[in-house]
Order: sequence, then C-alpha cells, then structure tokens
Amino acid sequence: MADRTPLLRAEQVVKHFPAGLGASVKAVEKVSLEIYPGETVGLVGESGCGKSTLGRLITQLLPVTSGNIFFDGVDLTKLRGEKLRQYRRQLQMIFQDPYSSLDPRMTVGDIIAEPLENFGLLRGRAKDQRVQELLKIVGLNPYFNNRYPHEFSGGQRQRIGIARALALRPKLIVADEPISALDVSIQAQIINLMEDLQKEFQLTYLFIAHDLSVVRHISDRVMVMYLGKIVEVYRNPRHPYTKALLSAIPIPDPEVQSKRRIVALAGEIPSPVNPPSGCRFHTRCPIAQLPTPCADQEPPLEDKARDHRAACFFSEKVPVAV
Amino acid sequence: MTQPALQVKDLKTQFFTDDGVVQAVDGVSFDLHPGETLGIVGESGCGKSVTALSILRLVQEPGRIVDGQILFKGDDIVTMSDEEVREIRGKDIAMIFQDPLSSLNPVLTVGFQIEEAIEAHGKVPGKMALSRAVALLKQVRIPAAESRVHDYPHQFSGGMRQRAMIAMGLANSPSILIADEPTTALDVTVQAQILELLRDLNRDLKTAIILITHNMGVVASLCTRVLVMYAGRIVEQGPVEQIFKDPQHPYTWSLLQSIPRLDSDRHDRLLSIEGFPPDLIRPPRGCRFHPRCQFKIDRCLHDDPPLLNVGPDQDAACWVTMRRALASNGERRG
Repeated sequence: MADRTPLLRAEQVVKHFPAGLGASVKAVEKVSLEIYPGETVGLVGESGCGKSTLGRLITQLLPVTSGNIFFDGVDLTKLRGEKLRQYRRQLQMIFQDPYSSLDPRMTVGDIIAEPLENFGLLRGRAKDQRVQELLKIVGLNPYFNNRYPHEFSGGQRQRIGIARALALRPKLIVADEPISALDVSIQAQIINLMEDLQKEFQLTYLFIAHDLSVVRHISDRVMVMYLGKIVEVYRNPRHPYTKALLSAIPIPDPEVQSKRRIVALAGEIPSPVNPPSGCRFHTRCPIAQLPTPCADQEPPLEDKARDHRAACFFSEKVPVAV
Repeated sequence: MTQPALQVKDLKTQFFTDDGVVQAVDGVSFDLHPGETLGIVGESGCGKSVTALSILRLVQEPGRIVDGQILFKGDDIVTMSDEEVREIRGKDIAMIFQDPLSSLNPVLTVGFQIEEAIEAHGKVPGKMALSRAVALLKQVRIPAAESRVHDYPHQFSGGMRQRAMIAMGLANSPSILIADEPTTALDVTVQAQILELLRDLNRDLKTAIILITHNMGVVASLCTRVLVMYAGRIVEQGPVEQIFKDPQHPYTWSLLQSIPRLDSDRHDRLLSIEGFPPDLIRPPRGCRFHPRCQFKIDRCLHDDPPLLNVGPDQDAACWVTMRRALASNGERRG
C-alpha cells in the first residue's frame, strides 16, 4: 500500500476551540494520516477524543486551526470560495442521526436532488431519473421520491442520507457513526449496503465509530484516537489503550465472555482543555513507566512493524493476542 | 425451587393514541428468582422498556396496563393503590435509567438526591442520611465520596452519574433492581466498569437484577437468563449459555448472526434481517416475525405460535424452530 499515492493526506492538523477565559479545547492535536484510494479506514475512540472533529476537518465542514489537508495532491486548507466548493463535491459525509440530518419539510426526492441542483448538474427529467436511480441503488423504492422523511424508518432514512451523499459521485465518504442510532437488526443492512456500494463505485471510506467490533468488521486499517491524538494505526493492535478498549467490548457469547480478562482502565478521560503531559494516556495506562519517559516525553506515532504504527514507548511489551 | 421474587403473568400494556391502540406489551409472562440476573433484549419498540415501566406502574398516559398480573410478595402490583405502589417503588424494587443526566435534578447536589431517596421510605436523622449517602457512593466506587457527595450532577462525568443513580437505587437495599439500558449512553471502557459494578452488587448484596438492553454482548457478560422480545412479545427465553449457543427462534438466531464480533472473521458478509419491526397498532397476523422470517412456513402466516419448550429450560414461540430450519436447509443443500 505504501507505493500508492494517498487520496487524502492530513499533515499536522490542529483544531482548537475557544473555551472562554483564554483557554481552549484541544480537540485535534497535530494529527497526520493518509487514506488510500479504495480502502476503508476506521477511526475509533471514546466520546470527546476528537474523532468527529477530525472527520469534519477532513470534509472541510470546519476550518483547521493549523496544518494541511491534501486531497488528490491539492491543499484544501488553502482553497476558498468556488474552488473549495468544487472540491467538496468529491468529499461527502454521512451523519449519525438520520432524523436530524434530513430536512423534514423536503420530499426525499428534493433532498437527494439538492446536491445536484447546488452544482447545476442535472435538470428536469434527467434529474428525476438520477434521483430514482439513486433510490434504487440504496435499496429503496424509486417511486418513494415524493414522500417525506417522517414516512420512513431510521434505517430507511439512513439509506436516504447515503443516496444524498452518493449523488455527486464522490471519491471519499466520511461516515460519522452511520449506524449507531440504528437498531441491531438494521445495522447489518446498512453495513452490507456500504460494502456493496464501495465495490460498485470504488469508494473510499473514513468510517468513524465508537464500536470497535463494527469498525473491525468493515475496515482495512483502524486508527485509534485518544484526547485529540492518533495513538495507533493497526491491523493487529499493540497499544495499551487499544488493548483496553478491545477488552472492554463484551462479546455476545457467554462462554467466551466469561473467560476474557478485562483490562480495567483507571478513571476517565482527562479534560482536553488541559491534557496530561508526555503521553496523554499515561494517567490511565496499565504499563506506563513514571515519571520517565511516559509523563515527560511524548511518544511519536511511528512505524513499529508492517502496517502498524503506534505512539507508545512500550507497545512491544504488550502481547499480540486479543 | 424457591418462591419467585417477582411474577409477571400475561401482562398487556397498551397505548391509546390518536392513530389507534398500540399493543406495546402483549401477553408477557415470566418469573424473576431471588438474586437472579435476568436480561430482556430486543430492538427499540419491542416492549422491553414498557415491560419494565409496567412493573413499577410508571407507564404514562396514554399508556395503560390493560390486563395481567404482576405479583410481588403475593400482592398484585397492577391492582394496588397508588399509595401501596409508592411503598414498593424505590424500597423493594428500584429502577435506573439510560440517561443519568436527565434522571438527576441539576440544581440539587448528588448527596441531597440520594438522601431524598433514603428519607422517602422512613424518617432518618439528617446526619445519618448523609453518612449513608457517602457509604452508598463508596459502594459504587466514587472516589473521594466524602467531598463528592456535595457536588452537583454536572460536576460528575457520565460514568459517575450512572454510579450515583445506582447508589440512589440501592439507597433502601431493594431486593430487585431494574436497569433500563444502563450503559447505552456510556463509552465502552465506562460500560465495562458499570457492568462490573452491577455484577459485584448482585454477588455481594444478592440484589436481583433485570437488565433491559439491546446489546447482546452486555447480556452475555452480566446475565444468567435472558428473555428475547419482539413486537411486544417474548419470542424466546432460557439460560444465557443455551440461548447464545443454540437459539431456536429465527429472530434470536438472526440477531446473533447479524452482529459483527471481535472474535469473528473480518469482512464476512453479515446476515441481515430484511425489513423492519411491525407497526404495533396493526401487528401482522400469525407470528409477528413472519414478514421478516426466512424460515417461515404457511402455518406462520395465520397461526400465532405460543412459547413451547424447545430445550432444557428453553422456550421459543416458533412453529419451525432453528433445529428443524437448519436441518431442512441442510437437506436441500445436500
């Protein structure tokens, strides 16, 4: 994968939000990443880790505080106005809540057609045909275009959101918790649909979620964030935070579950206004060596093995098995 | 066999809406044994939360319990006076909810609210109530409980708020704790802590727990017995090991096949249950799952299957059952 050119490359991206009295929430702190064409990258972490903010920075829904985001070699953070708008076509987003992300007063047909109109792409019958085609692609009845969002279930609404995202034939789709508001029996439908669409339209996904078992299922690579930093990029995890996260997920099998050992993390995530020194995870890490190096040096995110990067001084000491 | 701590018999709870009568809980029966951990799983709208609310008579208008019995210590909660239900609520049977932030009063300290729960069931001198509140916070492992007892809910993190809710639930040492999606709003690492806490409380205090959840993994890690609900009914019930290893109802089976698991192969196509749960104003005839069931036979379309014994302590409401469904599939393939 290393010989290919990334579709998207983020370099030292920083996002701070003002928090009053001169303080700031350090939501994303010097994050660099690459996403290659056709792959699915999972982005996981607990609430407040900055994963959604990072997704919105990548799709240019939020401006960066500093850093660069290259898409197809062009630095999006340097573009303004019409030029940026044209690039946005290729970067679409699917949101978590299929209720609040669709305008209740627009018909489904108008919702899906809106991006086409924004870019003046199709008109009249050609537009209607495209809308019906999109509805069919996402597994909905093409003649539902005159209905309103409230007439649909959560899973169907999420399909409408996906149809809207596909309308402009994007290259990269950032899906922010696309299934976590859905019922268990519906989640699999949407995951399968997203996998089918990826094959059919050569899509690249950044799949943001807190559920590691879903992310593991759909992703080629998984990035783990903690307090605004990417701490690991893996196929086989070694970072103590990732290990703890994985061990905390209950497996739906009482026999397996009763034999698992949960790595209990002490306390809760520290405030991103005032993150801990050195490695941000050192206050909760079961293998931290304190104070040196973990509390006074920041471990860089570096290659540890093929397809494996981790920001940890001691990740080699963590056993490989889940 | 010991006397059940709680017996629910043919419970029917309905909501009288402008669009029609929603049959939210339609003939649910089960026993809860002392000290047991019972899971009730299902998707949104399956009636699991309404079942829980019915037990404490907390169903709000336009909802009403229309039929059935809820027997606690020989008395029927359904026919009790409001006064009598209030005596049980919070004292013998306590309940904690999904969202601890909206269940706590933001303008009162956590300690005050726990003291309120203690004093609701008997006069306790102020100092004793406070020290009991501190002890409860310690029991749910809130660090520095002596000072945190004076904090307001917003000063607590999500996980700590849920612990505070559990402390409040335990205030009068109830024999039954009903936890409605207690970890759904929490991160997985915090969820693991709360589940461990509930497990310890069940072991140490012998409190029976009814855990309402949509998460099969949560059931697997805490419960010994499970009821699977679909469209207002119990479709399968039995010991957790049995249900997870050998589910007999197609709904349970499909649900387990549709969840990506940490210990399964990646990128395997997930089995998905087509369609979506039915409208409970006009539920389908016959088996309520039949429109989504891939194993249905003609009988399922018009004949409503009762819960039948399908294994040791295991009941399923299905005319086909997975044992037969998979065997005949094998024949066809073979």
